Amino acid sequence: MLKIKNLKADIDSKSILNNFNLEIKPGEVHAIMGPNGSGKSTLSNILSGKKGYKVSGEVLFENKNLFELETEERAHKGIFLAFQYPLEIPGVNTNIFLKTSLNAIRKANGEKELDAIEFLKLVKLKAKNLKFDEEKLNRQLNVGFSGGEKKKNEILQMSILNPKLSILDETDSGLDIDALKTVAAGVNSLRKNDNSFLIITHYQRLLDYIKPDYVHVLMNGKIIKSGGPELALELENKGYENFN
Amino acid sequence: MREKQIDKLKDYKYGFTTDIENIRAPKGLNKEVIEFISKAKKEPKWMLDWRMKAFERLKNLKEPNWQKPKYPKIDYQDIYYYSAPKSTSEKPKNIDELDPKLLETYKKLGIPLQEQQRLNGIAVDAVFDSVSVATTFKDKLNEVGVIFCSISEAIQKHPELVKKYIGSVIPLTDHYFATLNSAVFTDGSFVYIPPGVRCPMELSTYFRINASQTGQFERTLIIADKGSYVSYLEGCTAPMRDENQLHAANVELIALDDAEIKYSTVQNWYPGDEDGKGGIYNFVTKRGLCKGINSKISWTQVETGSAITWKYPSCILQGDNSIGEFYSIAITNNHQKADTGTKMIHLGKNTKSKIISKGISAGFSDMTYRGLVDISSKAKNSTNYTQCDSLLMGNKCGAHTVPYIKNKNPESNIAHEATTSKISEEQLHYCQQRGLNPEEAVGLIVNGFCKEVLQQLPMEFAVEAQKLVGISLEGSVG
Amino acid sequence: MEEQLKIDFEKLLEKSNFSKKNVEIKRKNFNNFIEKGFPNKREENWKFSDLNQIISKNIKNLSFYNDLSKPNKIDQSTFIAGLEHNKLIFVNGRIEKIEFDYEEKNNIEILDDLVLEKPNNANNSLLFLNNAFVSKFFKLIVKKNYSLKKPLVIYNITNKDLVSKSINLKFDILLEENSSLKLIEFSNDKSTTNFININYNFDVQKNSILKNYKIDNNSNSNIKYYFNNISQDTNSVSEIFLLSSGSEFIKNEINCNLNGKYSSAFVNGVFLLNGSKHHEIKTNINHLVENTKSYQLIKSVLEDESKAVYQGKIFVDSKAQKTDGYQLSKAILLNDNTEFNAKPELEIYADDVKCSHGSSSGSLNEDSIFYLMSRGLNYKEAKKLLINGFLLDVVEKITDSEIKNLIKNIMSLKQ
Repeated sequence: MLKIKNLKADIDSKSILNNFNLEIKPGEVHAIMGPNGSGKSTLSNILSGKKGYKVSGEVLFENKNLFELETEERAHKGIFLAFQYPLEIPGVNTNIFLKTSLNAIRKANGEKELDAIEFLKLVKLKAKNLKFDEEKLNRQLNVGFSGGEKKKNEILQMSILNPKLSILDETDSGLDIDALKTVAAGVNSLRKNDNSFLIITHYQRLLDYIKPDYVHVLMNGKIIKSGGPELALELENKGYENFN
Repeated sequence: MREKQIDKLKDYKYGFTTDIENIRAPKGLNKEVIEFISKAKKEPKWMLDWRMKAFERLKNLKEPNWQKPKYPKIDYQDIYYYSAPKSTSEKPKNIDELDPKLLETYKKLGIPLQEQQRLNGIAVDAVFDSVSVATTFKDKLNEVGVIFCSISEAIQKHPELVKKYIGSVIPLTDHYFATLNSAVFTDGSFVYIPPGVRCPMELSTYFRINASQTGQFERTLIIADKGSYVSYLEGCTAPMRDENQLHAANVELIALDDAEIKYSTVQNWYPGDEDGKGGIYNFVTKRGLCKGINSKISWTQVETGSAITWKYPSCILQGDNSIGEFYSIAITNNHQKADTGTKMIHLGKNTKSKIISKGISAGFSDMTYRGLVDISSKAKNSTNYTQCDSLLMGNKCGAHTVPYIKNKNPESNIAHEATTSKISEEQLHYCQQRGLNPEEAVGLIVNGFCKEVLQQLPMEFAVEAQKLVGISLEGSVG
Repeated sequence: MEEQLKIDFEKLLEKSNFSKKNVEIKRKNFNNFIEKGFPNKREENWKFSDLNQIISKNIKNLSFYNDLSKPNKIDQSTFIAGLEHNKLIFVNGRIEKIEFDYEEKNNIEILDDLVLEKPNNANNSLLFLNNAFVSKFFKLIVKKNYSLKKPLVIYNITNKDLVSKSINLKFDILLEENSSLKLIEFSNDKSTTNFININYNFDVQKNSILKNYKIDNNSNSNIKYYFNNISQDTNSVSEIFLLSSGSEFIKNEINCNLNGKYSSAFVNGVFLLNGSKHHEIKTNINHLVENTKSYQLIKSVLEDESKAVYQGKIFVDSKAQKTDGYQLSKAILLNDNTEFNAKPELEIYADDVKCSHGSSSGSLNEDSIFYLMSRGLNYKEAKKLLINGFLLDVVEKITDSEIKNLIKNIMSLKQ
């Protein structure tokens, strides 16, 4: 599904990612762990098409060169990024934002756009599953939401858009244990044979609830070790500093 | 009847052209032209006298020049002050003759074909029966005693009302453009709501049969008698192409005791092309008088068109406990310029005013919010709240805020806030990651920015206005 | 008045010993002033304060020639106590003393006979007047890498001998790279109905810091105009604090050009007015390059029939991305006949900026007064306490703690 070969990324002539390689197959869950400044957020920014980076190498998504696609075209193809810091957009109703987003993606894929009634039915169902307070959907997007609510809102959007590849950028940070469980349950309910996850995190604790197939350790812009779920535990015990 | 009138005009010594389809005064501003206008409209003598007084006054007035957008000198002798109705030969014969860009805009706004034709003055008699539409509404309004007609008709049928109120809010001598309008106004709307009546529908120029022939010098007079309510929509919801350059309209509102007037405008006049050529100068004087106690006047405007917009819909809060509101969205793109805002003059006790202004500038455009809040020493216990936010897109445009705040009353409070910002890269990236293209993303964010104002518009209007916001900013993301 | 101006101008030229060049420039300025006259409310800048009218209402028989040949007595009691400082003392517009006891003499230079420059603001007739009538044009240079050890106080003292005169003073202050100066301008007026016109020009070079505190606290019947022009280079800081309280009329105009990256300007001020006083602060902060910052906070407490005006403008050039501009004015009106006018203006041509302004005016919060009274204070005490807190907020912005305390004392503010 996703193939990254020799990815190199600079910002302001500072190297962030270097010789980064990763392959994710349909149905797989990969976790990338690394300390602050290792390049985790850069990776999610680049996959989602954020501007400002100088990139080289190759990133293929379903055999299509990602670098040739605009941010929204990547979204249309099924890439979803749950932001580490979800943005507040004053004046924009959350429901309207969600509907606009869903219909933009459906339209791009030649599917019928949902009308207001169909959409509300879908949203209601998904919100209920995620224990997301429906009343918040009528408020301005992320404005006045707590950290946890913002993160849950990301997962709600993910479950409505039903992407092929979901990238979770430190979705666990700022969540209390109950919220963490809800978020994890949301992710788990979306796991299928044909969609994949890339979970970017500092800590092992999210991986207690979302069992990854592979764990990669990212340091200084490249993956220094890959393994199964046990690698996360090892990392947690040793700490990043002593890991090398 | 009509032929008789034409015959008379035929003999007029200054050589007015007089074929049946087209009655047009020669170019120029002089006594004869004003007499011609008054005669063509069969006005009583007092009206002509009033116009002449304005004309005399005009000789001593100079065009104001303190506004930010400057414009080339206007030759007032090179303007046709009266031309109605237009001959069919001048109008486009069918929709195919129109600028394809214009049609594209109509499509995006969702305006039906028949409506598009009407808006462009294409003769479509059989297709769109505006007469019957107007009549249906008229019956309903008659039932409750609401008078809604053209100002020309009102001058003839309701002279006592017109005489009493015309010029009572915008005096003859007010300023150059207002005085010019008083001398040469051609048509406009007249509304009178009798005591205690809540007007059963939103009134709009949209439904009025004469409205499609909007002149350069419109005059509108709305009177809400004691305890009445009216919501009036000024619809230029599609870009009307117009060969005229200068639009200097006057709008006067009067609210008596316990009455409320809500006046909404969506202005989308031709803004000129991408290089700033052509377009309308929209120099309008709009003023409301809260004459009675507990009265309320609320202005809502969405200004996206015109090459230059220069207007300050204002409220004079004379009655105790009266309320004035101003909600505005102004968008300039390409080479458009706007200098707009409001004046809130507090004279009565316990008066309240609120100003919410959202300005968006893009391209090479320039936008100024200019406003006055004046609380006089007698206006005890009055309050004003003002919020002006500006959004800039690119660094070739300008956004300016020029509020004048005067407080002479220790028991009154004024609060003013203003911010200037841009759409952040992060917000754009977030929306794009959710599948929106950059223009959709900007449209969505800008609509969010304008929400407090859009909420004030009547439902159908709000939807069109929202689309308009998006369309106006097209091409500004890059 | 024109007649008087001409007589006085010729008298000044006759009695003084100006260079040929200066006489020529003075004539030009004089003619410009004659043509324009005192500004009136038809000028946008003077919309809220019609100086022409104020002068003719307050000053009878204004004359423009001032005999500076004889020294004036310096009243020592006007000196600021409890603060070691350098002194420049003017009495009735005549320089009486220059004293830099605390400083290294080779790091400071004072010039007093400069060639006048053409006024940079072609619309400002008061600068024409100043150039035409100023008798000495002072320049203070603080040399590279030098920070004055003690504040410099410029005393502007007038005594009862001075009646209905126009006084014009002009200063250039140059802070060379990495230097710093704390400048207090202290007025003490016992004179009546004079027009005092003072022009400051500050050149704040790279990494330099200017702190300028203007104190006008003694009630008097003079009419004053200050024009302060500040140019700032890279990484420089200017901090201005105005206590605008004593004179019958003052307009303080501040034009600040942020020409260098990372430069910042702070303007804080207090209007404390009673009687028929009418004061104005007008600022123009021009952000001309990237990454500059400005902050303005003005508070007013108005009693009797007094009137305060704040016109504050932030200008952001299209090159000045990442500008941070902020402006706030708050006024408390205590009597029926007081008036507060504000024109907080933004003119912005760059998109990546953060600019905001706010303004509020009104009465003291009755709920707060009630709360304090419920704790045992009487109405007067409660009011006083609230005003104290309201003003303290601005005074706390002063970064020099010694001068901050001095100003608190002068204003009788309690912590």
